[in-house]
Amino acid sequence: MVNVTEMTNWAVDLIDVRKTYGRSVHALRGVNIQVGAGEIFGLLGPNGAGKTTLVKIMMTVVRATRAYGTILGRPIGHRGKLAVTGYLPESHRFPGYLTGAQLLDYYAALAKVPRDRRRRRAPELLDRVGLTNWADARIDKYSKGMLQRLGIAQALMNDPELVVLDEPTDGLDPVGRRDVRELLADLRDKGTTIFLNSHLLSELEMVCDRVTILVDGLVARQGTLRELTDHTVEYKIAFTGDAASVHSTLASLGAKIEAGGKSGLVSIPGHNLSKVNETIDLLRSSGAMIESVSPHRFSLEDILVEAMGADANVGASHLPTENPASS
Amino acid sequence: MQFLALVLDSFRESLDRKIFWVMLFISLAVAGAMFCFSFEPNKVSILFGTWELETDFLTVGGKLREDIIAWIVVDGIMDTILGWVGVILALIATAGFLPSLMQRGTIDVMLSKPIARWQLFLGKYLGSMAFVGVHATIFVGLTFLVCGLRWGVWLPGYLLSIPLMVLLFSYLYCISVLVAIPSRSTVAAVLVTLGAWVFFAGIQITDDQFSTNESWQQYDTAYTASRVVRWIVPKTADITYKAKQWARAAGSADLVQQGGIDPDEATEWAEKIERKRSAIPAYYTIGSSLAFEAVVVLIAMWLFSRRDY
Ligand SMILES: Nc1ncnc2c1ncn2[C@@H]1O[C@H](COP(=O)(O)OP(=O)(O)OP(=O)(O)O)[C@@H](O)[C@H]1O
Ligand SMILES: [Mg+2]
Repeated sequence: MVNVTEMTNWAVDLIDVRKTYGRSVHALRGVNIQVGAGEIFGLLGPNGAGKTTLVKIMMTVVRATRAYGTILGRPIGHRGKLAVTGYLPESHRFPGYLTGAQLLDYYAALAKVPRDRRRRRAPELLDRVGLTNWADARIDKYSKGMLQRLGIAQALMNDPELVVLDEPTDGLDPVGRRDVRELLADLRDKGTTIFLNSHLLSELEMVCDRVTILVDGLVARQGTLRELTDHTVEYKIAFTGDAASVHSTLASLGAKIEAGGKSGLVSIPGHNLSKVNETIDLLRSSGAMIESVSPHRFSLEDILVEAMGADANVGASHLPTENPASS
Repeated sequence: MQFLALVLDSFRESLDRKIFWVMLFISLAVAGAMFCFSFEPNKVSILFGTWELETDFLTVGGKLREDIIAWIVVDGIMDTILGWVGVILALIATAGFLPSLMQRGTIDVMLSKPIARWQLFLGKYLGSMAFVGVHATIFVGLTFLVCGLRWGVWLPGYLLSIPLMVLLFSYLYCISVLVAIPSRSTVAAVLVTLGAWVFFAGIQITDDQFSTNESWQQYDTAYTASRVVRWIVPKTADITYKAKQWARAAGSADLVQQGGIDPDEATEWAEKIERKRSAIPAYYTIGSSLAFEAVVVLIAMWLFSRRDY
């Protein structure tokens, strides 16, 4: 039995979420995801991994084939909790006949935000996302980045306890992205839980406390960024000089050598200091000069590629021969 | 609050459609054109005396003159312009509401709100009715006023055409919605709805023929079939008939009785149909059609609530 305080610590606690579209498209095949209250959580994975499907299930847009668990301590779809959840859908499309300010008011009214709070909050948020001058312009005049900013503002109108953002930086320029990162950090400081879907791995690395890697409808990796990146380091040793005499010995140690004429680079996988030192000794004994030794922490990208493994196809299991290059 | 927001949004969406303004223009143009006519003793004056038609058709005073003017307003103007053109335009204007709501990226936000799917659906549905209600009110209101102020004939019963025409629209709109939900296609919704309307009208006309024309009644099964189908489908023609009947101070049967129109053979048969139709109680016409609409709306609502987006 899980103890109660531990259970209520999860803002999102999804157990065995499955979704099959039609008969044969297995978008999610039993996903477990836990997000702690107040943290920034990143969901990543290749195209078609099922990230959007999972988010849509959380937001009741799609009905799960099977799903247990809770969101903000209540079952998925609980009205009161939906009222305190903000959502930015992937490639959203807002009614073009509304102005930015009208849209915020409309969506917040649907989320049961009282009128006076809507009046107060809309200008604040428009200012926060830099759209004050566009508040009264029709949405069909907005650029893509402006739409994205409005989408983020819209998700925050109800002062949410949980914000679910599907590709929030899609279409934003570098400044816009930095703004969003700052906004997310501010929200976390206020105690808001943030659930993020993103392709932009470097973005996730900068802001996320924890990530889950979804591949082909299953969780491939889950943990804090540190947990995921710590155990996979490699050391790179750069040298000058000719080390041809020790190449075979180095290779037998498991090192990879890229040497060209008067200089080279040796990579040693794993967190293994004695091997690193052994390699340095070997290189020096061969007359080469060590230029630098640098520990190399794997990026999320490396981990993602590793998690996808050989099975790097795009899409759920119904598309066996998709071209992986399209991701 | 949520419901109000939905209805308001439907209204804003309709303001964005050109058809809204076309319909408004038609209402103003019709009322304006009516205003340019006046019926004086011995002549009809057009454009304030620019043209004058000598006629003693309307010199007959009192009731008959009122009946003829009522006939012009109700049968001539309301039935054709509001009851046909207006309803078709309204169907075209509103057919896109659900498909636009159901667009990917739009529906997602809506469904994530703390509101049941059926409420979302109903809010949009009633929003469309509100749109039509506004137009019916403008059209009937303006023509009612011109008829009273300019021609001196007040037809309080004509105001009942506002809710009745909205009902007529809703009987057809439910079909539009039922098609739009699985297909997400505005064009399909409009075409199927217009087809259904022709079918409903055809059934009612066929059934009228059967029940008033003895030589038709030898085809037993066909007669029974037409009666059963008419019993099920929305009574679009009948409800227009009711609207006209209530709007006119008197039915056209009275025109015949008062000697304004010669009762030849054709009108005799028309009168039969007239009598038959006026004998159908309003609660039956409206109620049975509403029952049909309710069933269709429930199916549409179920489809809307069940599907993935
Ligand atoms: N409405 C739908 N009907 C049928 N299949 C669907 C539907 N939506 C998604 N899928 C399928 O489910 C799988 C997962 O899709 P999903 O959109 O969740 O992926 P994703 O991880 O968000 O991808 P991306 O990174 O490209 O946004 C895909 O194979 C997709 O084809
Ligand atoms: Mg996606």
